[in-house]
Amino acid sequence: MKPILDVDNLTRIHGPGCPACLDVTGPAHDTNLCRHCGSVVAVADASLRLHKGEVLGIMGESGSGKSSLVKMLYFDDKPTSGRATFHDEGQAHELFSLNDAQQLRLRDTRMGMVYQNPSLGLNFDISAGGNIAERLLMSDELSYRVIREKATALLARTEVPPARMDELPRNFSGGMQQRVQIARALSTGAPLLLLDEVTTGLDLSVQARILDLIMELQEVTGVSMLVVTHDLGVVRHLTTRTIVMKHGRIIESGLTDQILEDPQAAYTQQLVSSAL
Amino acid sequence: MHPADTMGQTREGAQYGFAFLDEDAKRELRRSIFKAVCIPGNQVPYASREMPIARGFGTGGMQVTLALLGPDDTCKVIDQGADDSVNAANIRNFFALTCPGVTGTLRTEEASVIQTRHRIPELPLRADQILVFQVPYPDPLVVVEPNAAKRRRMHGRADYARLWVKLYEDMVAFDEITISHRYPTRINGHYIIDPSPIPRFDVPKLHQADCLYLFGAGREKRIYAVPPHTDAVPITFTDVPFAVESFRDKTTGKRHTCRRCGADDSFLDEFLDDDGARIFQCSDAAWCDMRLERLEAAE
Repeated sequence: MKPILDVDNLTRIHGPGCPACLDVTGPAHDTNLCRHCGSVVAVADASLRLHKGEVLGIMGESGSGKSSLVKMLYFDDKPTSGRATFHDEGQAHELFSLNDAQQLRLRDTRMGMVYQNPSLGLNFDISAGGNIAERLLMSDELSYRVIREKATALLARTEVPPARMDELPRNFSGGMQQRVQIARALSTGAPLLLLDEVTTGLDLSVQARILDLIMELQEVTGVSMLVVTHDLGVVRHLTTRTIVMKHGRIIESGLTDQILEDPQAAYTQQLVSSAL
Repeated sequence: MHPADTMGQTREGAQYGFAFLDEDAKRELRRSIFKAVCIPGNQVPYASREMPIARGFGTGGMQVTLALLGPDDTCKVIDQGADDSVNAANIRNFFALTCPGVTGTLRTEEASVIQTRHRIPELPLRADQILVFQVPYPDPLVVVEPNAAKRRRMHGRADYARLWVKLYEDMVAFDEITISHRYPTRINGHYIIDPSPIPRFDVPKLHQADCLYLFGAGREKRIYAVPPHTDAVPITFTDVPFAVESFRDKTTGKRHTCRRCGADDSFLDEFLDDDGARIFQCSDAAWCDMRLERLEAAE
């Protein structure tokens, strides 16, 4: 198996930071707030490897740093220290030493992101088709006919009625907005998708259909995914391997089945047993 | 010559240096103009001094023109193609007052510097002529990105996808691109400029021209340029060609002509006559007059 993403000791500290920050925070101290300088340690020394075609789950409670981690990988935020290497088309891109234009190029054409809140991933002032057109235009597709055809096909694939593709996404239901976001993320054939709490806030039947859609697309396209969630059901359905985070640290990682059936860390045990 | 030697009497008791602006201001303007010419399409910031007219009435164009004018120049000022509108006439009078030696003209071919609002003259400009535009909104990205710092970064990396999204939305809604003026135009393969509110008809004149085009925005404090023999390509899709105004009659399909000079290849203004009938006339007054003179001479 070939790696597509290697993350080494990624750390993000919000605040001034001090030498003691990493030593006085974490699950052992039951806080991510440094008592010396008041900084918040969002992510500390996170390392992981994602293989080609693999779906990796990142699980943890609110504030555990899972979204922070993914945001850095999508260049929405800058890490305090650490490295991440994205292996794409025979090249190894050192994500955080690229310049602004190179980062945007990767983000716009080789990565896809689906946010929990569709207003972050979509422009509500342009039509659903326009949102997909924007990604295609970023990857230098300048034929109106081709853009139109691709957008129609993508929306059909994510079960958005083509008749509504010229409507503003603000008029859509939450589930449909999420499907437009997924279509947009898929539009450039990116080999890496980052999904941040994609089903949170949707009702159960819509959740199930979104998960089915993601699984189906993953099987057809073979895209690698990082799936951030606090929902055990999502982890069980989508992922083969899972890491568990708490207070910015990765406290457990392994096969999803193994973690759900035989959790080792105390927090994971609590998490699994508290599932309804 | 020392600046003091070129002092001109403008009003009773009011003394100004040649071309109204002090020498430091003109030097700064010229440096910005040089930079703008060196980086075609790049918006260069400058100080934008107070002018004796309000911002929004052509102060950017005036400052660029004042920085260019020397005592031997001949200057023409047009507004929507006309030399006799209040704005154009007042600016021309101002140049005559503050730039002793500069002659004003109404004829395009006589002018060495032409300041314009909303039009490019019909008569092709020569290499020894400079066209100065008055610009209300210098940044084409302002419609898609409100944050100025982000816009400058977007310009730097030629990140213009969102301008094309506007075109896409136009095509979806109207089956054509509906931008009538200020058409985003890519200069020398990188920067996209707002060519000031010239009609689509004038945009192709920017491409590989013999003359220098300078753009001055007074309120927004930016100068940019399209140098001679530089590519200027209006943005469009590969399968949706850029089209200029056709001036065709919807019923007959024939192109309207100027009622004064009969021109069938110029940009036309549409009026209603006293009976409420639609009539058309060249927007470029100097062009229309020149054609009339030629027609009279031929008779």
